[in-house]
Amino acid sequence: MLPTKEAALNVTRNRVNLFALPGLVVVLIVTQVPFLITVLMSFVRWNMRRPDLPVAFNGIDNYVYILTDQDFFRVLLNTFKITVFSLVIALVLAFLLALAFNRKFPGVAIARSLLIIPYFVMEPVIGIVWKTLMLSPSFGINDVVARAFGVAPISFFSSDNALKTIILLCVWQWTPFLFLILLSGLQSLPEEVLEAARVDGAGALRQIWSFKIPLMRPFIEVAGVFGLINLLKVFGIIFVTTQGGPGVSSANLPYYVYRTAFYDWQAGRSAAISVVTVILTLIIINVFFRTQRDVRER
Amino acid sequence: MRRAPIKKVLGILGAISLFGIAIAYSFPILYMVYSSFKSEQEIAPPSWTFNPTLENYRTVITPDLLSHLTNSVVVTLCTVLLTLLLGVPVAYTIVFGKLRRPMAHYNWYITTTLLPAVAVIIPIYLIVNWLGLLDSVVVLVLLYTAIGVPLMVWMCTTYMSDIPVSILEAAQIDGATRWQAFSQVMLPIIRGGLISSSLLVFVITWNEFLFAVSFTFTESGTLPVYMNRFMTQQGLFWGKMSAVATIAVIIPIILGFVAQRSLIKGLLSGAVKE
Repeated sequence: MLPTKEAALNVTRNRVNLFALPGLVVVLIVTQVPFLITVLMSFVRWNMRRPDLPVAFNGIDNYVYILTDQDFFRVLLNTFKITVFSLVIALVLAFLLALAFNRKFPGVAIARSLLIIPYFVMEPVIGIVWKTLMLSPSFGINDVVARAFGVAPISFFSSDNALKTIILLCVWQWTPFLFLILLSGLQSLPEEVLEAARVDGAGALRQIWSFKIPLMRPFIEVAGVFGLINLLKVFGIIFVTTQGGPGVSSANLPYYVYRTAFYDWQAGRSAAISVVTVILTLIIINVFFRTQRDVRER
Repeated sequence: MRRAPIKKVLGILGAISLFGIAIAYSFPILYMVYSSFKSEQEIAPPSWTFNPTLENYRTVITPDLLSHLTNSVVVTLCTVLLTLLLGVPVAYTIVFGKLRRPMAHYNWYITTTLLPAVAVIIPIYLIVNWLGLLDSVVVLVLLYTAIGVPLMVWMCTTYMSDIPVSILEAAQIDGATRWQAFSQVMLPIIRGGLISSSLLVFVITWNEFLFAVSFTFTESGTLPVYMNRFMTQQGLFWGKMSAVATIAVIIPIILGFVAQRSLIKGLLSGAVKE
């Protein structure tokens, strides 16, 4: 918990609170007020490209529509798959990389910096580079590799593979950041404990399994939360590579909200999907925090 | 006697393989930079030997690209500055102020960083459109500041609660005003933290795509918007595309190299301490 130092400084402080007001107001205006409007809009029928049709209150019709829409459930499942698979794979990969790179060798800083490049690259570039230079079946590395093995190149963006490809890209993008968090964790472990384990004859695997992983729990949790938050919000990569397609086979909830708003121009329906997305996000994050607390108390 | 050299050789081999892993991991980006110096014929199909050329850069550096680059720089710098100006006081108030429930404030800011931005995109679009401010730099700066402030509050609260109260008390006993204690004692102590949180805000702002692509077009679009348009219009010219992409990512990558570890310390120390 953060200690607040209220008691310590004995000066009149009421004026100090005003100090925080501008920041509070900006965040409030940009995040909370529009979200309230989103909630209101979710009860309205509104096609933004048809000014002739009146904007009208239509009760829970938007919610009924999406909850009876097959596409919505497909997208919901996709969101779940993208988040869970990317998170698990990225965490495991990041942990292995952190174990490997947690040593001193000449140029270690350069090697680590190379490894974390993907985190600093904007999503449109990630999407474009992978879609063309890497995975294009005609002239990409995909084709080079396929030729080397004498097989046909894989079509990474077909309806069977699009979602897996999105997961691949998400893993690639987020592993470096999780790696950094876990590496900091490994470096902060108490040296004496590991040394004692070594002296007692614990092998490398035993050290990792019985000492490093339990001691690393708080860091793994932080990495998990960061990954979870960001993977639930994936947008740019999908926008640039697959546009959620073919059909909705690789769309997630954020992309679906965008598409409903800016391609179908259904403001009300899109708002309803946003509201459902926010509620689900809050539930998932709460469940995640709660299970962590339970594990810790046990 | 013989173990030392073997260990050394193993160490060198280990280091080489770790370098190999790092290079393989970032291969797509390294290959992109490499391709940006090739002529189009050498990229598709890929050939490993080539005559390095600046031709792609010469073609893609147009007034249009430069204006998007300028927008990115202006938007990002303004955002970082505003985020510092607005966020640091909030963190200060949470830690040292007289809020009735400081933790509630802190948690509220963190929760806002968790929520998906798409949830507010339509109302903001409608409001911005109504104000006639679509495609304006000001709107982007305002939106990005609202994304940056909670992050800044999160990180700075952590740094500030690490400061021993006695230091600030001593400053005030010595007759420093509250403002002097804040600006001359506290800010220097958390300077490192301020720099790394600013860098994080910089990278996030520079790369932001959803708001940029929804609210800006040609006038005040940032590099991600340009990148996306370039892909749709000239996606067949991989050499030129690689050159544009390299220009778009080079600044955050260099900053990332510089900041490396300190970048996440602020996020971590708060979250892990409990």
